[in-house]
Amino acid sequence: MCPDREILSAYFDGEVAAPWGQEIAEHVAGCERCRAWLAGMEGTRRALADEQVPEWRVPMERVRRRILVHVPSERPRLPVWRRQVTLPVPVAILAAALLLILGVSLAVVATRQDMGYIRVTKAPAGGTEYQFAVPYDKVEALLKSVGGSDANIESVMTIPKNVKLVPVGEPRMGKAAEFLRKKP
Amino acid sequence: MRASVRSGIVPFLLALAVANANGQAQGTETDPKEALQELLSKALMVTVSARILPPDDTQEETPVWNAESTKLTIPGRSIKVRLDGDNVRIYLICTPYLQDNGEVLLLAQGQVWFTEPQDNENRYVSTFYSIPVSYGEKVLFFPLGVSSSDSPQKNHFNIELEIKIVPYEKKP
Repeated sequence: MCPDREILSAYFDGEVAAPWGQEIAEHVAGCERCRAWLAGMEGTRRALADEQVPEWRVPMERVRRRILVHVPSERPRLPVWRRQVTLPVPVAILAAALLLILGVSLAVVATRQDMGYIRVTKAPAGGTEYQFAVPYDKVEALLKSVGGSDANIESVMTIPKNVKLVPVGEPRMGKAAEFLRKKP
Repeated sequence: MRASVRSGIVPFLLALAVANANGQAQGTETDPKEALQELLSKALMVTVSARILPPDDTQEETPVWNAESTKLTIPGRSIKVRLDGDNVRIYLICTPYLQDNGEVLLLAQGQVWFTEPQDNENRYVSTFYSIPVSYGEKVLFFPLGVSSSDSPQKNHFNIELEIKIVPYEKKP
């Protein structure tokens, strides 16, 4: 009588102790059917041993990510201004320096109209708009403190009496290139 | 090594930087010498040269009279030149402004008081110009008009004023 398949499988794996194992070996030697079954098991084992191990890391990682996407976050989402940002120290120092420079630049722009300043905007219709930003109270006070006054800014030239001037047209002004004299 | 900061601190730092810079810019006490140096660094020299040229029908091109005035000013502060003649008084008021592109916008006002010799009538003309100029570029002002061959008036003197603006350079 042939032994049970489970016993034969245990025998194939070498898990049957000596006296029983000896009896099964004697039976298998004389039993065509059991020898054929054990030969099939041996063929299966060799086929599995020869098969290459499949690359499982990539699909595993893909599955892990899919799972993580669907797992609800335990921590509540903070508003943008309360989120924590992690920066390397040199980057943090650089960012702080840039912020400082930006702030100083803004302040300079905001206070530059302390000096005479004008913005000229050409209108599409051809007109020109002049925007003045000239707060002069401090400048006037300073000029007075160093002895300047409006009287000093005017100069007088006296035209000789023997020169009689006659108007020949309306006053005109322009760049010198516009009034090049024609040579005879 | 890494630093961890709350992103909400960024606007705070920015506001602090601006406030600090503003505070420095608007300091309550300014040393007059420092302020003067600051003014001089942006000061401009405005030179006005007045010339009276001989009549066009003469071949002479040398001015029969000329005068020059150089004034130091700052952008936005005007300089005034007055020419006094027998029958004419001319005012030229020049106000230079610095533009965004670093060039100068010259705002000039010309006023001419003129007495007609024959009928003793006074005439007044006021004109206003705005001309963008580069440093050193010459601008001409003809307070009594520009003479030409078509001009009905012949054998007369021409008066012209030349304006030139250059940055102030402290002499060593």
